[in-house]
Amino acid sequence: MKNFEYLEPRSVQEACQLLRQHGEEARIFAGGTSLSIVMKQGFFQPKYLVNIKKIPDLTGIRWDPKRGLTLGALVTHRELETSPLIQETFPILSQIEEDVANIRVRVMGTVGGNLAYAEPLTDLPQILIALEASIRVAGPDGDRTMSLEELFVDYYETSLRPDEILTEVLVPTPPPRTGIEYIRFSSSSVIDKPCLGTAVRFTLEEDLETVRTARVVLGCVAPTPLRARQAEALLEGKRYEVQRVKEAAAFASRECKPVSDLRGSEAYKREMVRVLVTRAAPRAFEKARAFRGQV
Amino acid sequence: MSRFITLSVNEVSRRVEVEPRETLLEVIRDHLGLTGAKLGCDIQVCGACTLLVSGKPVSSCSFLAVDADGCEVTSIEGLSCNGRLHRLQEAFIETGGLQCGFCTPGFILTAKALLDEQPHPSEEQIKKYMAGNLCRCGCYQEILDAIQKVAGRRAVQNG
Amino acid sequence: MKDQMIGSSVRRVDHEAKVTGRAQYLADMKFPGVCCGKILRSPIAHGRIRGMDASAALRVPGVLAVVTRDDFLNNSRIDPYYGPVFKDQSIVALDKVRFMGDPVAGVAAVTESAAEEALAAIQVDYEELPAVFDVLEARREGAPLVHEIIRVPPHGFEDLAGLRPKESSNICTHFQLTRGDVERGFAESDHVFEDVFTLPDTQHSSLEAHAVVAWVEPGGRIVVWSTTQNPFVIRTQLSNIFRVPVSQVRVLVPYIGGGYGGKLYPKLEPLAVALALKAQRPVRIVLSREEVFLTITKHAAHIRIKTGVKNDGTLWGRECEVLLDTGAYAEIGPRVAKKSGYTAAGPYRIPHVKINSYCMYTHKPPAGAFRGFGVSQSAWACESQMDIIAAALKMDPLELRLKNAYEEGDTFATGETLTNVGLTDCIKRAARAVGWGDRRPRNSSSPLARGKGLACLIKATITPSLSSALVKMNEDGSVNVYTGTIEVGQGSETVLSQIVAEELGLTMEQVRVAPMDTDVVPYDLTTSSSRSTFHMGKAMQLACQDLKGQLRELASQLYKVPKDQVRVEDGKVTIPDASLSYREILCTRFGMSGGNLVGQGVVKTSMLSPTGEKSTSAFWFLGAGAAEVEVDRETGRVRVLKYASAADVGKAIHPLGCRQQLEGAAVTGVGQTFFEQMVFDNGQLINPNFIDYVLPSLLDVPEVIESLMVEVPHPEGPFGAKGIGETGLIPVAPAIANAIYDAVGVRIKDLPITPEKIFMALQAQREGTTLEDR
Ligand SMILES: Cc1cc2nc3c(=O)[nH]c(=O)nc-3n(C[C@H](O)[C@H](O)[C@H](O)COP(=O)(O)OP(=O)(O)OC[C@H]3O[C@@H](n4cnc5c(N)ncnc54)[C@H](O)[C@@H]3O)c2cc1C
Repeated sequence: MKNFEYLEPRSVQEACQLLRQHGEEARIFAGGTSLSIVMKQGFFQPKYLVNIKKIPDLTGIRWDPKRGLTLGALVTHRELETSPLIQETFPILSQIEEDVANIRVRVMGTVGGNLAYAEPLTDLPQILIALEASIRVAGPDGDRTMSLEELFVDYYETSLRPDEILTEVLVPTPPPRTGIEYIRFSSSSVIDKPCLGTAVRFTLEEDLETVRTARVVLGCVAPTPLRARQAEALLEGKRYEVQRVKEAAAFASRECKPVSDLRGSEAYKREMVRVLVTRAAPRAFEKARAFRGQV
Repeated sequence: MSRFITLSVNEVSRRVEVEPRETLLEVIRDHLGLTGAKLGCDIQVCGACTLLVSGKPVSSCSFLAVDADGCEVTSIEGLSCNGRLHRLQEAFIETGGLQCGFCTPGFILTAKALLDEQPHPSEEQIKKYMAGNLCRCGCYQEILDAIQKVAGRRAVQNG
Repeated sequence: MKDQMIGSSVRRVDHEAKVTGRAQYLADMKFPGVCCGKILRSPIAHGRIRGMDASAALRVPGVLAVVTRDDFLNNSRIDPYYGPVFKDQSIVALDKVRFMGDPVAGVAAVTESAAEEALAAIQVDYEELPAVFDVLEARREGAPLVHEIIRVPPHGFEDLAGLRPKESSNICTHFQLTRGDVERGFAESDHVFEDVFTLPDTQHSSLEAHAVVAWVEPGGRIVVWSTTQNPFVIRTQLSNIFRVPVSQVRVLVPYIGGGYGGKLYPKLEPLAVALALKAQRPVRIVLSREEVFLTITKHAAHIRIKTGVKNDGTLWGRECEVLLDTGAYAEIGPRVAKKSGYTAAGPYRIPHVKINSYCMYTHKPPAGAFRGFGVSQSAWACESQMDIIAAALKMDPLELRLKNAYEEGDTFATGETLTNVGLTDCIKRAARAVGWGDRRPRNSSSPLARGKGLACLIKATITPSLSSALVKMNEDGSVNVYTGTIEVGQGSETVLSQIVAEELGLTMEQVRVAPMDTDVVPYDLTTSSSRSTFHMGKAMQLACQDLKGQLRELASQLYKVPKDQVRVEDGKVTIPDASLSYREILCTRFGMSGGNLVGQGVVKTSMLSPTGEKSTSAFWFLGAGAAEVEVDRETGRVRVLKYASAADVGKAIHPLGCRQQLEGAAVTGVGQTFFEQMVFDNGQLINPNFIDYVLPSLLDVPEVIESLMVEVPHPEGPFGAKGIGETGLIPVAPAIANAIYDAVGVRIKDLPITPEKIFMALQAQREGTTLEDR
């Protein structure tokens, strides 16, 4: 690693100022689990590292029945995994976190870093998008809010400006009769990064048969997390049926844009999208029917 | 650009001058001479460099030393006291949870963090917690035995 | 009552140091004045070096030395060429670079960053040449040559004598084994099967990277600390390179953080010494993880295997062509190819055999020894095909194996007689352990399908070879033990101590293995080939017996009793009417509390057995593995529910150690079966890190691993022991592949067995085609 100056702002404003001041030569440093890798490899050699971990406003998990869940950008994977509040309100998040990376990366790595890095092989974005999460972003000129989907632009590229900081993730309270299932699929070791990740979420009508909202969000099969919109459209507003799920899965498999890499060929990944959507949907449906206020 | 940081290392307070780019592993090994933590993969996968920072396992190969300023650090050297081995150390020996020993300090510290958090983990919990430490000699079954042994013994003691 | 020593899992002598973090590995050690060495590596796969300018590197502040080819051209004091079999490697590239990562220059500097800056300042002008990246390409007529000339050293390994590079080709060596007449064998067979199997390049992935610290003392003596598994080979090679007597080279080895064959033969030592000579200071080189991947690999292989079988399942003919990819340098590849050749007929009686095993050069990182080398490649083909045959003949794979497996007194493919063979026992016990024959009812609505598979093996140990040991008794009767065996984690310190303790009737505490230092310990060929317990263990036993002989002699002289009335037993010397401690004997002998007695033991195996028969191996490793798997037909993912590993250990001196060896090998085997693979793109390794080169974790290993030890004692092994370090790895991949076939009816012939390969094969199966048609 090349040397750099280590800055420790105490407020979001101060951090944004530092980022503005140093421009391209500065980088936000949260858990450092991703950044350390590119810095060691020499791909990225910032002159200034802006550690945001001393900013109290960026921490903490909050829940409000109306607004939903608020995750500070510095909430770690491990906090999501072990927080009683999460286990009560969004158990899906703590369940999936058990399989993310390894214990040490979970202890250090943050939600903000996971999203802002926009690495394609991750798990959280799919689930959070399926839950219609939004993010708050602070810049030198104030805050803005956008849907999480809008954050992702390309491989390792987000819509954040260099002097902006992702401060919070907001996950709305799930509407009644909502169920979500996430399947993390690895094509080698269980602890390998995902080959693909599939989130399926349903919100049902009162009849518990008709799908009001469907979200099919695919990870690792496109430059950004991908909503399989055709699949969603096929499922929405109709009775849940196994045959329709199969068709939707086939749509999803066509909609995604995987590339062949170490973790599988394009053809295989498309096939797995089909299989995993088919597997996740009935579980999400059952969970939605059994909804007890948490997902 | 270097600065002073203060660490509590195995309950002894240490003041060290470090450069921002130095990792906690480098500081612990090169400045403080505690070489139990090893550099293995340098990319947070193998766990040979595991140290406990505020009781939690981290990959010290990728952890900036400046970021540890003011923290409590536990290394393998801090586990045995007065010449007596920690229960986990004893259990790893008894069950044969090591061969070449290069991964062992990392495994033992991770297991300690697990048992401190969760004194009676299920087998599944142990596996998930420990899966991020790699043993290329392949002593996984014995390592699992060792941790279960200590967890079980605790259960008896606490019960 | 005295505790049983042999056969008891005593507390290992190295473990306390290891669990407390106090065991010193090379990177942990402090050396006054040490500076940092770094290596400049070739960015291209094949090219001629037109020019090089290192002057800017020398101007970087803190740089102490730069070593390039200019240091060796016209330098009669150094022979830059080396290599365990052929002298095809050089300290740095001299004329050509032969793989992406080939060392081109070395730098020593006071800090790591200065060394890195200096590397960046070295200018190299390459003329890029066409390159070959696999064995089939390399064999083609007109393929680019990796080496134009190859230097053959005058005194090579005896077992490899006669193997020579084939001129103007990429064939490094060609080993042939014939028996009977294979064409006749096929003609007389009822069925002939022909298949091609492949294995990719993989890497040992010791968690400890290779490291070295070297310096040259005033007067020219070379001192090297190294993470090597065979210090005596390093010593010989350094003595040849730097043209000094062997006595002027001292090699020391601390604890090693995993070897598995990856730390044999010269790696960084020649360059480190060259840098130290110039820098006039100790130089330390520690490889990065990426560099480890570029330093040594396991041979990729392409194996065509053809087998003739009678209707009743009798194997009648076997033709096999093994192409092993040794990369840019021969390393120990010729022996790997030879061992592959020997075992390509499998552990079976086959009257007509024709094996051609080639060690091939390509423009890839050099491949060398990897736990079970040669055999793990050929067994993948041989044992997978056994089940293809069984399926075609509608025979039980277990029965097919038992019908053909070697038994006591059978003749091996080389013509020699096999003795002390516990093979069928291993096969039966492994099969029983997974409940062979018990079928679970198949649930057709579930995508999960279960199956069971078997594989077995025969493997040789390096022969001829040599191990010597010294046991030095101190004034109180305790002993220091001197051995060239390296403690790589296998527990050699403990097992050797146990053997000494048992022989001399001492406690473990009274026995201490001395640190490894070639200045002090007597010669040992190598810590590899599962040879140490058998060879060094026996040498220890002989050294103890020598010592006991001396004690008997002394007692007879000192106490004036006939020698045949002196007994050395249970840690005491008994003469008529008295029982004397060792301490008393030594005290009487030297007239003070001081002095030593030194016993020596030497084991030399030869290519002729004691009865004058040809002997390929001092003993044979026999073993079997059985797996039960569950395959997800929809995704192709496999879970190994149970793996049973059976090995003929001769005698388990430390049963826990044996279990660890078998289990550990099974774990490595699982990684190699399912995901380990170095992936190259035009010669560039694209996954030289543990995120992309995935190793097995606690969650990937079989839910149950059972280790079964068969004990058919070997008369020459210490207390009957044979080796065990590698046996367990070899059958894993074919046993699992066979279990997958049993579960879902698809045959994967190319490792690793990824879910994708299974999925695609299943898809082809549903569509009524085979993979090869597609
Ligand atoms: C070995 C390994 C395995 C992994 N496996 C998985 C896996 O299975 N699943 C998975 O989902 N992920 C996985 N990851 C990725 C992991 O989740 C991320 O590394 C982690 O969440 C990043 O968080 P961080 O705080 O460490 O980010 P940092 O490394 O500190 O930062 C990453 C990037 O985000 C920027 N950044 C950080 N915080 C903010 C912010 N608040 N606002 C704006 N920009 C910011 C930084 O400038 C930097 O560019 C793995 C990582 C590793 C190293």
